[in-house]
Amino acid sequence: MKSHAVEFTPRELLRLVVPPLVPVVLFTLVMQTGARFGLLPAPRPALDADRAIIVHQAESSRARSDAEVVLLGDSSCLMDVNARQLGEALGQRALNLGTISYLDLGAHARLLREFTQANPGHPRVVVLLMNPAALRHPGSEPYPLAVLTHFLAGNDHHRLDTFAGRFNAFSGVDAFQSRLQSRALPTPFTDSFGRFYGFTTGLERFMSEHNGSAVDPGTNAAKGNAEYRLSPTLETLSREFRAAVPAGTKLLIGITPVPAKFSGPNYPALRNQMLRDWSVWLQADAALLELPATLLDEQMAGATHLKPAAIPAYTESLAAAVRTHMK
Amino acid sequence: MLFNSGIFLQFFAAFLLFYWLVRDSLKARNLLIVASSYLFYGWWNWKFLGLLFFSSAFDWSVGHALARLQAPRDRKALLAGSILVNLGILGFFKYYNFFATSLAELFGRLGVPFHTGTLNVILPVGISFYTFQSMSYAFDVYRGHLQPTRNFVNFLAFVSFFPHLVAGPIQRVSQLLPQFERTLVVTRTMLEEGIWLMIWGMFKKVVIGDSVAPLVEMVFHDEPPGAAAVVLGTVAFGLQIYCDFSGYSDLARGLARVLGFDIMWNFDLPYFATSLREFWRRWHISLSTWLRDYLYISLGGNRRGPARACVNVFLTMLLGGLWHGAAWNFVLWGAWHGAGLVAERIFSGDQAAPKSALPLRRIAGWLATMLIVFYGWLLFRARSWHQVAALTTALANPSAPPWLGAFAFTLAVFAVPLVAMEVWQFRAKNRLAPLSLAGWARALLQGALLVGIMIFWTREKATFIYFQF
Repeated sequence: MKSHAVEFTPRELLRLVVPPLVPVVLFTLVMQTGARFGLLPAPRPALDADRAIIVHQAESSRARSDAEVVLLGDSSCLMDVNARQLGEALGQRALNLGTISYLDLGAHARLLREFTQANPGHPRVVVLLMNPAALRHPGSEPYPLAVLTHFLAGNDHHRLDTFAGRFNAFSGVDAFQSRLQSRALPTPFTDSFGRFYGFTTGLERFMSEHNGSAVDPGTNAAKGNAEYRLSPTLETLSREFRAAVPAGTKLLIGITPVPAKFSGPNYPALRNQMLRDWSVWLQADAALLELPATLLDEQMAGATHLKPAAIPAYTESLAAAVRTHMK
Repeated sequence: MLFNSGIFLQFFAAFLLFYWLVRDSLKARNLLIVASSYLFYGWWNWKFLGLLFFSSAFDWSVGHALARLQAPRDRKALLAGSILVNLGILGFFKYYNFFATSLAELFGRLGVPFHTGTLNVILPVGISFYTFQSMSYAFDVYRGHLQPTRNFVNFLAFVSFFPHLVAGPIQRVSQLLPQFERTLVVTRTMLEEGIWLMIWGMFKKVVIGDSVAPLVEMVFHDEPPGAAAVVLGTVAFGLQIYCDFSGYSDLARGLARVLGFDIMWNFDLPYFATSLREFWRRWHISLSTWLRDYLYISLGGNRRGPARACVNVFLTMLLGGLWHGAAWNFVLWGAWHGAGLVAERIFSGDQAAPKSALPLRRIAGWLATMLIVFYGWLLFRARSWHQVAALTTALANPSAPPWLGAFAFTLAVFAVPLVAMEVWQFRAKNRLAPLSLAGWARALLQGALLVGIMIFWTREKATFIYFQF
């Protein structure tokens, strides 16, 4: 017995399958042409938390600003310090350009250069804050670095290492998402970020209102490796960062706190030594040894960020430390 | 493997090629279906292929044994044994830890030490679906509705047919099994329908269902935001579960259609129902009819008076809730619908509002039905008693989170295409209304949906909700 018989011709089959592909092809043509000839808005791929932070900080770095104190560093810089409070305490506007832990000192240097080009004569002080976990793995992850680089260049970023990435690049999906969708449709967050910020627009709004600072609303227990050290590759990256600091601008560096129980009793002394050594590589004007090396575990959201309630006190201690070196 | 994955697209493309190659042999076709379906299922976890095979073989054997036995007592005993084995397997994999933990909690509250221990039991994907489907074969043979099939491969193909294997629809033996025993004809109309359903089903799942899933996560937790957010979050979940599940069902029917098979519709515009009874005739039709035919009627149906009928309805819905998952919130959800159906019987009688009823009455009925259904979704989605209480209490909290506006906007963006399509289908009284469009218009619509699928086809795949059942 036969399995099946068909009562349609190949021509009829093609007539069913091919026409719906026409709008798909048209979409691709419109997106590719629009992107190539500047008919579409510039890419702004704020499509998830990391990219929203990178895009926001990159835009802030290029904006006109009278900030005299600029904070740079990883996510602990972004989320442990309230830049608005810091500026009020110092009597000078502070701007937080901290980003995420997957970007290295080279990326932070790039943001600093963007800022100084947009705002000649500013800032007076650069405060570089990093978590000790970032100092043992100081290199950038390729993807977020590419996002930053492409955004600053005004180009779409394509992930060409997978079939899906290549398809999205070719079909115009990347261009649609980064140029149109990101502007028209906010992306919802999940977990604690979703409950606190809601959407990418909520995160960006918060950062704008707090001079570039954000908070980590999570409450995870600290986990991971508590063995901290300076990576040898940090020396080269530190020199690259130093070169971006304008002459006459003070460079102050600090290592953000970690949970006391998690890091162990010997950590504060280790932190101070790391800070001194790093300060030498960076040729910093000062190492902020007076900042607390550890805080109570209950004050931390994980191993690298402070809980929101702990931020004001830490910001105050940072203000006191910076004030000393601004004299 | 998920329908919305690259690997499935490759699998189906290869399957179609082989399907074409075996067009002259029914036997080869069914063997191909069995092999492909087992590959499809084994892609998730090959260790449970044995269970799928055992379940199929057991019920096939029971069917033959039932046909040979003459004495009613013996036949009844065999059927009971078959039910016991099937539900025993289902119960072990799905409910062992649930009942062990619940018993321990109950005894603990009574101050009696009780410890059975829990096992690290993996829930096999689709077990609820293929077990019910396989069981219905024994039922139908017992009731004399069909003769047992002689061909074991055909039966294996019927149970394991990959379009419906892991999340239904739960097929009736008399409707699907004969299709494995005859030559199928694939017409142009079937092809049109199949292609449409695959595109629309994938759009519902990938674009709408997966996009509103994070919105639901923002609301359903132990400290929910205020009333407005809880209401919108519940609406979002109603949208998510509908698009996820009906999308899968449409995909299943569409895939089957292009192969020449006809599997049942599982949804019929349920959010247009003006009564709970009507809702359950439109929602997860394959399960609700299965429960009606094999549980409600077995309990006596409405043959023993209205009071007993109410009890039977309530019990059926309670067990229907439990079928969905090993957690008390599913039982509560089932009880909620059971109570609603009983109340409807008592206050409205056996008759639903006629279609000629005043619009106001139908609108009132629709509103009341949707209130019950959507509060039911709150119960269904909550992860604990505490969450149920927190979410319900939050309905009296007038505060609103700062992201409420963006939430409502995003929800509306994804709801509009679904609402527009379903209003069209409802007014046309035709679930395939888009096929009546002129060729160019249909191509434009399908193309637009394909573009949407392309844009929202994220790398991180969200599983189908009903995979967990």
